[in-house]
Amino acid sequence: MAGEAGEATLAGPAAPGAPGPDGGAAVRVRDLTVSFPTPEGPLPAVAGVSLDLARGQITGLVGESGSGKSTLALTLLNAVPPPGRVASGSVIIDDVGDVLALRRPELRQVRGAKIGYVFQASQNSLNPLKPVGKQVLDVGRSHGVRDVRKLLHSARLLIDEMGLDAERVLASYQHELSGGMRQRVGIVLALVLNAHVLILDEPTTALDTLTQASVLEIVRKVHAERHLTTLVISHDMSVIGDLADRMAVMYGGRIVEEGPTAEVLAAPKHPYTRGLLTAMPRITGDVAAARPLPGRVPDLASVPRQGCVFRPRCPLATDVCAAAEPADTVAGQRRFACHVTAGEAG
Amino acid sequence: MIEGQAITRTFAARRGMLGRRGVRALRGVDFTIPDRGAVSLIGESGCGKTTLGRILCGFEDFDGGDLIVAGQSMAGLKRSQRVPYHRRIQMIHQDPYSALNPTRTIGQVLADPLALRARQLGAGRSWLEQRRTELLGLVGLDPDYVLPRYPHMLSGGMRQRVVIARALTVDPDVLVADEAVSMIDVSLRLGILQLLRELRHTAGVSVLFITHDVATARYVGHGGQLYVIYRGTVVEQGDTDTVIQNPAHPYTQCLLSAIPVLRGIEFPGPERVVPTGPLDERSEPPGCLFEPRCPFAEEDCRAAPPGLARLGGAERHGGLAVPPGQHRGGFRGVVPPGQQLHACLHPARRSVVAVPARPGTT
Repeated sequence: MAGEAGEATLAGPAAPGAPGPDGGAAVRVRDLTVSFPTPEGPLPAVAGVSLDLARGQITGLVGESGSGKSTLALTLLNAVPPPGRVASGSVIIDDVGDVLALRRPELRQVRGAKIGYVFQASQNSLNPLKPVGKQVLDVGRSHGVRDVRKLLHSARLLIDEMGLDAERVLASYQHELSGGMRQRVGIVLALVLNAHVLILDEPTTALDTLTQASVLEIVRKVHAERHLTTLVISHDMSVIGDLADRMAVMYGGRIVEEGPTAEVLAAPKHPYTRGLLTAMPRITGDVAAARPLPGRVPDLASVPRQGCVFRPRCPLATDVCAAAEPADTVAGQRRFACHVTAGEAG
Repeated sequence: MIEGQAITRTFAARRGMLGRRGVRALRGVDFTIPDRGAVSLIGESGCGKTTLGRILCGFEDFDGGDLIVAGQSMAGLKRSQRVPYHRRIQMIHQDPYSALNPTRTIGQVLADPLALRARQLGAGRSWLEQRRTELLGLVGLDPDYVLPRYPHMLSGGMRQRVVIARALTVDPDVLVADEAVSMIDVSLRLGILQLLRELRHTAGVSVLFITHDVATARYVGHGGQLYVIYRGTVVEQGDTDTVIQNPAHPYTQCLLSAIPVLRGIEFPGPERVVPTGPLDERSEPPGCLFEPRCPFAEEDCRAAPPGLARLGGAERHGGLAVPPGQHRGGFRGVVPPGQQLHACLHPARRSVVAVPARPGTT
């Protein structure tokens, strides 16, 4: 909380109308660049990204494979997989400070205790050889938790919150749990040490619609009951559109658009956001209205090094787009990076 | 035309000796895939939709009922005799990353089945090359770019197009697409779905689309039949848009209620339905299979399994009472637009589908 007033200027105007105690950001990412070595020299998977996770809100991060969304999320734990490397920037988290400046023993305490992370395909990332209860104890041991009874008690409370039978779940091996139940156990393990920031990477991928709906409901509930600051990462715009208060759209290592979810979806400013929305089949309206987005998804090597990263697929691209990378246009609580739509009335 | 008649399939449970019965993946499913038609199967994981697709392709046997391919009953044939019939039904796999041999170029991948086809047709090498180019054009790929390349050099979307082109090499009647876009980048998915839609006209194939995603089923299956499957039975059937816009069975309503609602452009349907509990595959209720999870279940739902009935019509289909415990006769054929069949004793229309917000209301 210290230095919040100072940070507010950095973050631009504080969210207008936001309630006092919930205003401000619990996590502030500033000018973050994460690069990976390639035969052509180091290339950025995340390039100059700034993002605030508003305290008490659910922020959604949408992007396709190779957009850098998972790399960005792992950077919040200072866990960029080698040979990737943070080239510049900072990640300031409430009660922690700059995560990127921490050393290994401190990091170990922060991960899990301050930031809970539910990994992609977490339904398959449990230890198959140990019952869930033992895995809870492992989490406690790795963080030097002395009071085992209290730890198990908070695990039971969490499992109850998830609408599951705590005794049964703690005694179960992963193969005895369904996909949706494993996903919930992933959330339990992430929060059992009372982390106040929760990061979920693709929480509903590979789950069917009914299970997805129940997992989304659980995330909503746990988020509200525990006053968390939550980041949800997904390739699926509809998951983010349903769950998140604010959303950020990532493409080619950049955040190309960000703002309150309802506003972004109702009037997307960036051509990529517009393209993604039009490419979604819907259950109402004209079936034939959906249009595919042309071109292919760029990887590290094929992201344009100059100009706008979305230019090769953009229906609006002009000469300016090839020359310079667009700067953020800020309008109210929203921002987007496009030369062409920058002039559109907010 | 391909017709399924009361198809059943039971998988043996591993601990069968303890008296546990096997898993009944299909409990008597009737379906019809018309020529150049579109049929979608929707349901949650474990409902039997994938098993049905695999039975059609001949990857899996059925224990009861019959499958009629090109007028021929499969039940009476030996496995080897069925092969040419199943060849008419080709599967598009879910994962285009593992469906192609990484050591062979796209040219080689397509040449192998085409060489077989050429032998059958008595055609030569030039036919093969011409057909290969033609098929790649049909799936929207540039032959000059794709032919010399290996699978890893192509994007997921392009690989899936190659997989579709490979399926078309044997001139199939039906393509079975089981979650065919779930591994593909979102911005490229619609292109594949659009292709599946178009192939009905451009390649003259029928498409059986298997998914849990109702919106994609609506897109691909537009103008075709939709089957909602629950625990191996058809619980609702009809013209795709009729069922999606006006679901009558509580299970269909649950599926549609579970679709995420986009803030800012949609409002949740006013009468959303949520199942009262998770799926328990071990339970074998005597009545309606959905009754244990159904928020609208009444006493009579527990008595006997309901058969398919026409919505708005009082008569059970065929006017037959369903003998308890036995498989019931289903409906064979295509339900015309505006009508639907459902297996619920107390069907009711409920507005569960998200409502688009009018511009300016948010």
